[in-house]
Amino acid sequence: MFYRENGQFKTTYRADQQILPIAQDRVALYLLLAFAFMAVPFMASDYTFRAILIPFLIFSLAAIGVNILVGYCGQISLGSGAFMAVGAYGAYNFFVRIDGLPLIVALILGGVCAMLFGILFGLPSLRVKGLYLAVATLAAQFFSDWMFLRIQWFTNNSTSGSVSVSNLQVFGLSLESPLAKYLFCLSVLAVIALLAKNLVRGAVGREWMAIRDMDVAAAVIGIRPMYAKLTAFAVSSFIVGVAGALWAFIYLGAWEPAAFSVDQSFKLLFMVIIGGMGSIMGSFFGAAFIVLLPIFLSQFLPALASLVGIEISTASVSHAELMVFGGLIVWFLIVEPHGLAKLWAIAKQKLRLWPFPH
Amino acid sequence: MSITNGAGPSQDESASMGGSELHGVKSVGANKHIGDVILDVKNISLSFGGVKALTDISFNVREHEVRSIIGPNGAGKSSMLNCINGVYKPQQGSITFRGQTFGHMDSHQVAVMGIGRTFQNLALFKGMSVIDNIMTGRNLKIKSNLLMQALRIGPAQREEEFHREKVEHIIDFLEIQAFRKTPVGQLPYGLQKRVDLGRALAMEPQVLLLDEPMAGMNVEEKQDMCRFVLDVNQEFGTTIVLIEHDMGVVMDISDRVVVLDYGKKIGDGTPDEVRNNEEVISAYLGTSH
Amino acid sequence: MSFFLETLFGGLMAGMLYSLVALGFVLIYKASGVFNFAQGAMVLFAALAMARFSEWVPLYTGITDPIAANLIAFAGAGVVMFVVAWLIEGVVLRHLVNQEGTTLLMATLGIAYFLEGLGQSLFGSDIYKIDIGMPKDPVMLFESVFEGGILINKEDFYAALIAAALVVLLSIFFQKTATGRALRAVADDHQAAQSIGIPLNRIWVIVWCVAGVVALVAGMIWGSKLGVQFSLTTIALRALPVVILGGLTSVPGAIVGGLIIGVGEKLSEVFLGPYVGGGIEIWFAYVLALGFLLIRPQGLFGEKIIDRV
Repeated sequence: MFYRENGQFKTTYRADQQILPIAQDRVALYLLLAFAFMAVPFMASDYTFRAILIPFLIFSLAAIGVNILVGYCGQISLGSGAFMAVGAYGAYNFFVRIDGLPLIVALILGGVCAMLFGILFGLPSLRVKGLYLAVATLAAQFFSDWMFLRIQWFTNNSTSGSVSVSNLQVFGLSLESPLAKYLFCLSVLAVIALLAKNLVRGAVGREWMAIRDMDVAAAVIGIRPMYAKLTAFAVSSFIVGVAGALWAFIYLGAWEPAAFSVDQSFKLLFMVIIGGMGSIMGSFFGAAFIVLLPIFLSQFLPALASLVGIEISTASVSHAELMVFGGLIVWFLIVEPHGLAKLWAIAKQKLRLWPFPH
Repeated sequence: MSITNGAGPSQDESASMGGSELHGVKSVGANKHIGDVILDVKNISLSFGGVKALTDISFNVREHEVRSIIGPNGAGKSSMLNCINGVYKPQQGSITFRGQTFGHMDSHQVAVMGIGRTFQNLALFKGMSVIDNIMTGRNLKIKSNLLMQALRIGPAQREEEFHREKVEHIIDFLEIQAFRKTPVGQLPYGLQKRVDLGRALAMEPQVLLLDEPMAGMNVEEKQDMCRFVLDVNQEFGTTIVLIEHDMGVVMDISDRVVVLDYGKKIGDGTPDEVRNNEEVISAYLGTSH
Repeated sequence: MSFFLETLFGGLMAGMLYSLVALGFVLIYKASGVFNFAQGAMVLFAALAMARFSEWVPLYTGITDPIAANLIAFAGAGVVMFVVAWLIEGVVLRHLVNQEGTTLLMATLGIAYFLEGLGQSLFGSDIYKIDIGMPKDPVMLFESVFEGGILINKEDFYAALIAAALVVLLSIFFQKTATGRALRAVADDHQAAQSIGIPLNRIWVIVWCVAGVVALVAGMIWGSKLGVQFSLTTIALRALPVVILGGLTSVPGAIVGGLIIGVGEKLSEVFLGPYVGGGIEIWFAYVLALGFLLIRPQGLFGEKIIDRV
């Protein structure tokens, strides 16, 4: 009875086209943002920031990027780890070599590097799709692994490829504390999520979805597949690159190429599949799920096992994690290919009727 | 049944051509003014590996007319449209549109030149709503770049609203208002065909290639579709090239007809001429016993 | 010169090992149009099963003869792979009939993760040995032709022979038998094959069983060489370019592709590597595959991919 569209008539197209046409949704979002910006800082412990919130924010950002490419434009990508790496090392190089470069500028430049890399390795998408495109993106992944390990220039001549940054600040405010890091990531995420949402509900988003659904018909109405696919790669890798730079600078502090291995690529893909392909909100769900699941399992499984008197090692928990991931991927693909976002939409539909049965 | 006045995409041509009130399937269009040749297909030959789909096909289409292409299944009708559209590239022959001649067409170029298309097997974007599907037809006319769209302020927002209004006119014209937010995959076949037409109309095309727009429809649905096609032709002057199997429709609404059989042209002329053509009768129309 | 030939032979034999894994990919793709990302996980699973069984057989049955123990372990692992194949078909594939390729691809990715977790849960995650009596010492050949001779690893040599034999068997199976024809029909179009009465489910179980056995053989050989450990799953990723080169639908292509990749990797590492910092093995195969994708996506021997409107 609370979630009703009754009486919410739109008299302009602008009102009908807005991101959240239903007033209750808008209120919910504002409350959530207020909560995230103003309440959470007082409620969360350092551990919560470090282990849950900051990874969640950064992965949500990366998942939005991957979703644009895989979910909206239908181009499968197993190379997201490489784009994160290019973003991270790109930002690093600018940050370290140009004295006094503001952090935000470095992050954006890292994103630009990732974007160029993404366009380059997105070129095969003009010729092939599906599995073959997946192979092309894997080429990007392994090439990037090698590039940052072996080409000394990228890592400021560090022999092992590992680098670090410190003393980060933004507008004079230090980013050492977990709270500051959290707020910074939250702000970046909010801005980029809004921009991304505008893109996907605009003309270019429709182009992407047209290419995904039927590229021959898209060409006939005047959509150029090349432009659509390459912009998808560009925008996606920019966002993933910025996320990679954030991951490196803010979360890790010190990193090496292995932090952006092919496992990271798979993780991002899983976030998008589980969260919901072709849905910005789904990216958040997917990221939350992937971040929370290991923590949940490592608390829950030993407790469950001790009920039956078995001891579970951490190795077993990580094996269980693999099984749960794999099993859930398969389950979602069979039962609800549109992921958690679809389940959420169904729940909202039911909520509109509540408490009435029909 | 009357159509909402003034609905539909605006055109450079002046509106008000011929009658828009329709009873049954009979066309009126007495005031229609058929122009010069706008599309000229010369000696088109197309083969796939060893299969010859089209052999030396030549015909022309005049501006503002309704030109039908008929023939048995497998005659090459869809392939012909695909050649005009740039989906297939013929091995021989040329296509001339408004004075420009091409050996083969490029899909994008064709769209820019103002040739729109519907598909026999419905190439709709199943994941998007009706509004979004038809909005994709407006794509060529949207000018804001990526950054403007991301920020969605000022010109970009106004552009979205402008095109949304155009799309709403098309939705009114095709009487699918109730389904505008539904994902097209969930719509029944007849409505999907209307969305396909709407998407092509959104391009504001000069020439509209319709590939069996009435296939699989019952009598009422066919009447509706005919009404739409004729309205587009008569009110907005759009040249129509139509593939259709229903002889009643073809003979009633066409100005001229091309008949294909096994990839060859066996008839070309007005409906009456074609109806009395021996070859066409034996190949396709059949005689009554 | 002899060094070049050594590198060449080394590459050829490494290539055969890749081919073994690639064969599994080709089998499943040929028969169901599905690319099985889980092949690597299946190799690991099979190898783990065999390694542990060969440990447990002497313990539980008192049979201490290594050959007999290995045979029993092999048979046991084979049964396990049959069960896995049957489960995969029943639980996953049956529900995804006629979905698009990308969906199936991601489903096999999910299966891969699941098998990796399950395998290690059931059989443990240490490094295990498989000892099938393969000679591990190298041998010097052609000493009369080249000075110093060419060093060849006997183990790799035998592995190459086994792989070649497997390929011949599989080629015959696909080309000459009725089941093979049915498999090819299924790969082309699930629904059409169903409509002419081909029992889709049974065919798929058969194919995944065969792929499971191939995985077992591959796991056995790789495991004997490297020890059975988690990193075996990365071999699947290494073998992916092989099928791109050879063609996803070609059994001989898997061999040729494997040889080319094996030789290419070794030669490029030795002769190109020093100029660019070394370690180019990790991407050489992929970049080569990338080149093929742009020029000839169906690979050397694959069927041309036709995209219909």
